[in-house]
Amino acid sequence: MAFWTTLLIIHGLLAVALLGAITHQAVALWWPVRAASSSFVVRFRAVPSTSYVWAIIVLYLATFVMGAWIYTQYRFTSRLALEQLRFFKTVGVFELKEHVATIGLIVLPAYWAFWRLPLAADHAGARKQVTLFLALIVWANFLIGHVVNNARGFGS
Amino acid sequence: MMATDRVATFAIAFTLCYAAIYVACTELNVPLLTYHPVIGEIDFLWKPSRQGPAMYWYGWMLTAFIGAAALAFGATLMPEPWLQRTILFGALAALSYLVLYSLALLVYDKASVELEFLTWRWPSVVAAVIAAAIGTAFAPAQWSERLWPGWTWSIPLGALVVLGYYLTPYFTR
Repeated sequence: MAFWTTLLIIHGLLAVALLGAITHQAVALWWPVRAASSSFVVRFRAVPSTSYVWAIIVLYLATFVMGAWIYTQYRFTSRLALEQLRFFKTVGVFELKEHVATIGLIVLPAYWAFWRLPLAADHAGARKQVTLFLALIVWANFLIGHVVNNARGFGS
Repeated sequence: MMATDRVATFAIAFTLCYAAIYVACTELNVPLLTYHPVIGEIDFLWKPSRQGPAMYWYGWMLTAFIGAAALAFGATLMPEPWLQRTILFGALAALSYLVLYSLALLVYDKASVELEFLTWRWPSVVAAVIAAAIGTAFAPAQWSERLWPGWTWSIPLGALVVLGYYLTPYFTR
């Protein structure tokens, strides 16, 4: 059990790093800084978006692989317990998580293509939209994972 | 906001095809392999569960990956206007099918007599294909000049809506 718990914690840490990176990039892209300032919010928005691309791709892949691995254990341990407890909404929302994660994964090639250097001016709109879409996917899966983990509880 | 090269064309087409094929794989349950997590064994294609639950998610992803990669490669060989028209046709057909089949099921539920033919899928499929063909034929020419990258998020979003709809039984028990 310690092995799977360790994997789950690593999965969670990777997800936190991914969440931070994609949020930074999406905010910097949709709400760019016009004038320098020392405030926290302005500095949060002032990151160079292009430098996050490979980090986001690698973190997404790593988080996905870890999640897909842990899923094998979840399927016949936690899920059975959730079903016995009649936590059907929790099970359903986790089913949704697997689909959302897959859709996020398949958006990555397009995300990479739109962010290739030098940045293509006629992909500016697509770049913004796909980055926001990916950010929403990462946020949704992070929150769902958190809820499901709370339902079963750490170490239970 | 236009795609300009084959890498972008492949990436966009791969994402769109994957989303569509993945939805079909989950609906029709067509996995390339079946994983049995309790015994740690893998079967080729769909197999029923044995000693514990069977997992099809990995198989659905692989089926969709192979189909999407092949179609995306084909997309890079097509002229961009044809590809744009094909995607427009596919999107219109999917949307029309969703609307028509939902309407048919609504009428079936509300009707005071048994109209079983309304539960058949193929009349909705045929009507959707016809509607999509008409819509594509009459679409303004400028819509089909270049590949629209906005498909990259709109079709996966549509796929997520459909996949979410399939999961409603979990939330209504």
